[in-house]
Amino acid sequence: MDTTGADILIKTLKDEEVDTIFGYPGANSLPIHDSMLKSQIRHYLVRHEQAAAHAADGYARATGKVGVCLATSGPGATNLVTGIATAYMDSTPLIVLTGQVTTNLLGSDAFQETDIIGITMPITKHSYLVSDPCDIGSTLKEAFEIARSGRPGPVLVDLPRDIMAAKCNLSDTKDVPSRVKPRSAGTRDDAQLQKIAAYLNRAERPVLLIGGGVKLAKACDDLAGLVEKGNIPFVSTMMGIGSVSASNGYNLGFIGTHGNELANRIVHDSDFILTIGARFSDRSTSIVSEFAPLATIAQIDIDASSIGKVIKADLSLVCDIREALEGLIPLVEKKERKEWMERIKRERAARNQNGAMDECGAAGPFIRDVQAAMPEATTMVTDVGLNQIWALRSWQAKAPRSVITPGGLGTMGFSLPAAMGVQVGAPDRAVVAFSGDGGFFMNIQELVTVTCYQIPIKIVVFNNGHLGMIRQIQDLFYGSRFCDIELGTSKVDLVAIAKGFGLDADRVPVGDAGAGIEKMAASTGPFLLEVIVDPDNYVYPIIPPGKSNIDMISGRQG
Amino acid sequence: MGVRERILAILVNNKPGVLARVAGVFGRLGYNIESLCVAETISPEISRITSITNADSDFIEKVMKQLGRLVDVIEVAELVPGESAQREMILIGIKLNQKNRQEVVQAVGMFDCTIVSLRNNYCVIQVAGSRGEVETVINYMRPFGIDKIARTGVLALHHEEN
Repeated sequence: MDTTGADILIKTLKDEEVDTIFGYPGANSLPIHDSMLKSQIRHYLVRHEQAAAHAADGYARATGKVGVCLATSGPGATNLVTGIATAYMDSTPLIVLTGQVTTNLLGSDAFQETDIIGITMPITKHSYLVSDPCDIGSTLKEAFEIARSGRPGPVLVDLPRDIMAAKCNLSDTKDVPSRVKPRSAGTRDDAQLQKIAAYLNRAERPVLLIGGGVKLAKACDDLAGLVEKGNIPFVSTMMGIGSVSASNGYNLGFIGTHGNELANRIVHDSDFILTIGARFSDRSTSIVSEFAPLATIAQIDIDASSIGKVIKADLSLVCDIREALEGLIPLVEKKERKEWMERIKRERAARNQNGAMDECGAAGPFIRDVQAAMPEATTMVTDVGLNQIWALRSWQAKAPRSVITPGGLGTMGFSLPAAMGVQVGAPDRAVVAFSGDGGFFMNIQELVTVTCYQIPIKIVVFNNGHLGMIRQIQDLFYGSRFCDIELGTSKVDLVAIAKGFGLDADRVPVGDAGAGIEKMAASTGPFLLEVIVDPDNYVYPIIPPGKSNIDMISGRQG
Repeated sequence: MGVRERILAILVNNKPGVLARVAGVFGRLGYNIESLCVAETISPEISRITSITNADSDFIEKVMKQLGRLVDVIEVAELVPGESAQREMILIGIKLNQKNRQEVVQAVGMFDCTIVSLRNNYCVIQVAGSRGEVETVINYMRPFGIDKIARTGVLALHHEEN
């Protein structure tokens, strides 16, 4: 039977259990949309391709599945770039489908032509230009394997329009042997695990450092098991938050530039750090030479290039985290470590008394109130900046996929479209998207998408009229020489805008938000809550540029 | 270990775009590729890239791991002088005149090179040997007025089967 390239594409997507695509059409991707029409795949039309990529990213982070986005050639494809880079930095499995000009026009500066493969080479795990309709099936299958295997990441498939329209006799489709390296590359080395366990058991002040890789490996339960078995306190990187429930008694918070002071201090004083699924980004280590100066460091990761890239690991293992933990846990002994655990208990109590939430000013209690009003099964998505740190510090992450943040690239404008993807992927959960007034306007056009599909996300916009995090940095480190940060958003009526887009909305001051929060929590459709915040409401502690993790600056009074 | 010349042998799937990705890894780290040689191996689906860059051992370890992440990279190895045979071939273009003709011809004989072509007094000389031998010839010929040089860069293979 003769089918077109596009038909085979859609069929392969269905074979890969794809039921949702976020996209925006154009002339060069029409054959794909045409074939998709006959299928069961649900296409969500966004209003800017960047949002399609962020939505697919949010969808993947919420569900653990591979996200799929679709754009046309030229400007459609280039609009995806920021979203692809965001997914790349946080290792989200994504398939990016782009239309392309017909093969005879390639390289001729044709209308709406860009070399999207060239442009995205450094920010994709791999990419393909399909030149034969009979190759689409095997190419796409391989793309999915690459996206989800090892350290996950985005894979781009460029699809010229004539190839999509061309016919292929299904019996001619080639089953090309996969080029994907087998997953067990990086095998569980039991001898190495024994060494790691020995160090761990001997250590007097050990800490587990949990990165984003644990969630990606679907090893959260195993990790919780390790914590319990070994009686070991843990800290997270920003991307590791939620891997083990925040309310777990061993949780000390997250480390780094904007981390919790206690977490940074404990890491600094520890004698053994077992790092699992974390890549020691500059945001978590600050000054490498001063990071954990007393500790022996062991690192387990599936990606060999992340080991020893920033911090020299004294012990390391390249392995799937779940396999590694399976082998490690039986070797770990429960040690009392009385002095260490007592000290941690004391320091924690002292900080709770001083009111850890004060570090976020009025935003802290506000966010806790939002969490209390929302259902237990709520996923929180942050944008970037003050809103992000307030949310990550104040929201208690109860489940692994309940906290979503663009830590690696720090992309403003992420939260609204990503939250759309999260809600679509997890319709039984409530979704709260936090953002500042800066990030909110970057993808504001998606309010149309939210209304048209009635995606019931709750959007909380902290409006302080400024680019808040930058304002704090200029205030503290640039002698208060403020420039280019006044967004004019305090002169704009966000509630009227939201209502104009068809959403229900309300405005509250951050210190007296009860009524607004209640209204939002009770709403059944999409809702926008504008929260007025003082521009001087910053976040503390903060590590000055060029300083180490323990040179944190604490809050000013008032 | 300090900065010195490092030879990397990279086996890759012979597909379009692979070379661009490999070069991109070096470029992204801010390092220059001093020379690059790429061709099919005994299996046409696999190509060998032999590259030279000046770096310290930390960087080489980093770049090897990052190359290892690429889907189309099959294997990466550093070829160390004692454990590998290293050879280079160059073509030297020299315009012959009354002053240099005799000396050039003498040099060709002395260094066991080959004159590949000679037209309108322009001769192209082939030199093959170890890096040191090739450099010696270039230095010797330089005063005669070298017009152009085309180099393969060092090719290397491990001495033993592995």
